[in-house]
Amino acid sequence: MRILVCVKQVPDIESPLSIDEDSLWILEDDRIAFRMNRYDEFALEEAVLIRESLVDVTVDAITVGPSRAASVLKKSLERGAVNAIHIVCETPGYCPPALTASLLADYARNNCYDLILTGVMAEDDMQCQVGPLLAARLGLPCAVSVVRESISLAGRTITVECEMEGGVAETVILPLPCLLTIQSGINRPRYPSLSNVLRAKEQELLRIFPEGNAATFSIEKALSLSYPVKSTHGTIIEGSTEEKAEKLLTLLHEKSLL
Amino acid sequence: MQGILIVIDTIDNRLQSSAFELLTFATTLASFDSAPISVVIAGDSIGETADRAALLGFNVIVIEDGRFRFPNPDLLFRCIRSIIESEAPKYICFHHTMRGCQTAATLSALTGAPCITAIESFTVTSAGPLFTRSLFNGKININLSPGTGPAVLTVLPGAYPAPEADVAIHKRGKVNHMQANRIESPYLPVSMTDSSAGAVRLEDADVIVSTGQGIGSKEHLYLIHAVASIFPNGAVGASRIVCDRKWLPYGHQVGVTGKTVAPKLYLACGISGAQQHIAGMKGSQMIVAINRDPKAAIFDISDYIIVEDLSKFLPALLQKYNDIYS
Ligand SMILES: Cc1cc2nc3c(=O)[nH]c(=O)nc-3n(C[C@H](O)[C@H](O)[C@H](O)COP(=O)(O)OP(=O)(O)OC[C@H]3O[C@@H](n4cnc5c(N)ncnc54)[C@H](O)[C@@H]3O)c2cc1C
Ligand SMILES: Nc1ncnc2c1ncn2[C@@H]1O[C@H](COP(=O)(O)O)[C@@H](O)[C@H]1O
Repeated sequence: MRILVCVKQVPDIESPLSIDEDSLWILEDDRIAFRMNRYDEFALEEAVLIRESLVDVTVDAITVGPSRAASVLKKSLERGAVNAIHIVCETPGYCPPALTASLLADYARNNCYDLILTGVMAEDDMQCQVGPLLAARLGLPCAVSVVRESISLAGRTITVECEMEGGVAETVILPLPCLLTIQSGINRPRYPSLSNVLRAKEQELLRIFPEGNAATFSIEKALSLSYPVKSTHGTIIEGSTEEKAEKLLTLLHEKSLL
Repeated sequence: MQGILIVIDTIDNRLQSSAFELLTFATTLASFDSAPISVVIAGDSIGETADRAALLGFNVIVIEDGRFRFPNPDLLFRCIRSIIESEAPKYICFHHTMRGCQTAATLSALTGAPCITAIESFTVTSAGPLFTRSLFNGKININLSPGTGPAVLTVLPGAYPAPEADVAIHKRGKVNHMQANRIESPYLPVSMTDSSAGAVRLEDADVIVSTGQGIGSKEHLYLIHAVASIFPNGAVGASRIVCDRKWLPYGHQVGVTGKTVAPKLYLACGISGAQQHIAGMKGSQMIVAINRDPKAAIFDISDYIIVEDLSKFLPALLQKYNDIYS
């Protein structure tokens, strides 16, 4: 069984994010820390768990991104991926999900995966698109926001529980091959083992340089970035830590909450 | 190519609370190029809901099929594809929910139309509408243009108000039925569970002291419990990450996939203010947030802002409380 996991490198949202001079993207200076999208950690872990529970499973990790994104592939190898594929795409700025999905599809199409996993969403652009877009491009059935899965090899099916809004979840049966987008909480991502860390150090990534593709689809255009206009202006409670604590208590007391 | 098609979200034949907001969004969009609006509603027995939309003046396409008893984003996509072949709408709008995003993405991939997601507002320019959505957990906005061709859109729940039911003004819309029985789908939903009514009664609390990942570890949770206990009717809430990490059971989770609460006071401790969290607590009467990041998005909706490190602030708060009140 062949599993492909899509992993994305995202800026740490707690880093100081500011807009660049042309208002087209964020300023990518060295104050920004990059890491693996949190939902993709759950997707990768789920693939590795499947690999451990069945025989003859390979797990490939793939990313689309600039050179710096190679680090999330190294992380994936450390956490149990067998191979890592880097689709190198240096173009800075907003990347339409349709473009990412088409690059991923070009690779996946020729490599016959039984199961493709993505995160439910990327923490930076929050699109929730790349998974179902990729599935549609490959003609695969897709289930989103999966919080539980179990594979029946005999029937070539997978039963998944999909979480929806408002505490509702549905159980769905899909044929394999298919694509799942993985929601957080499905498992507990592991720490890398020493042997995998050593292996990852040695292992080459497969690097692919996509040709300037003549897109057969139209994509949205990012025109500008801006800081959100704050709708309500809250009162900032100032002072030393103790003063703030005291002011808060007084306030809550005045409002009869204490 | 003209007109706007909107796809209303239902679960178990029930409208989702924010479903009709899409009508307002589409009406606003249509007012700029006077496009006709049609509404698609799918379920296994959905006539009543369809009538409600028709009463508001919209033309409705009803898809009734046993396979829509549970949500079926795949079958829905296949039905809509056959609708747009004849209607050729310019915009197809969904709610930005898990199912909405899935159907929207699939349509976008197979029609080649761009998809703009999580729309919060739009402006109209000479080159057409420009949609605004947020990036990086609400810290930055981006303006996206779909170009001049057709586009698929998902609208953030809560961004637009639902229309007021005012039958008098409108002419009743037409209701058309579509048959889905010839359409096959590999997506087979078999059951549905609802865990929203759990053991933790957050809904009844006057004060919710809610913790995010900023509390740092399970070992520090006692501070949150201690702060909650100083209030007469206090309870402990949490962000999803806190529950994912098993620091607290999911029953404490506030947000789109957790509980929706509206206490007298919501004290958000170390919560960044992701849309999915805010959706579940923005109706609180008073919001106080404590976060060490002065730019945290939670502050945008807070009445009182405290920029502090929780590991220093919460002990200080408890100490002061003891000094003054006990
Ligand atoms: C489909 C879907 C559904 C979701 N549903 C929900 C939901 O129902 N509820 C929900 O909550 N989330 C939900 N999420 C997840 C959501 O997007 C966010 O990831 C989550 O809310 C973030 O939790 P957080 O604020 O605790 O963590 P983070 O975003 O990591 O924020 C932690 C905050 O703590 C601050 N902090 C760190 N250390 C300290 C310190 N020492 N002192 C003070 N402050 C500190 C940081 O500045 C930061 O702002 C959902 C996501 C998806 C994709
Ligand atoms: N550049 C990328 N490279 C690899 N996978 C990606 C990339 N962008 C998005 N994905 C995958 O698609 C999921 C959803 O992303 P998004 O649609 O951007 O919210 C992520 O969790 C990843 O699994």
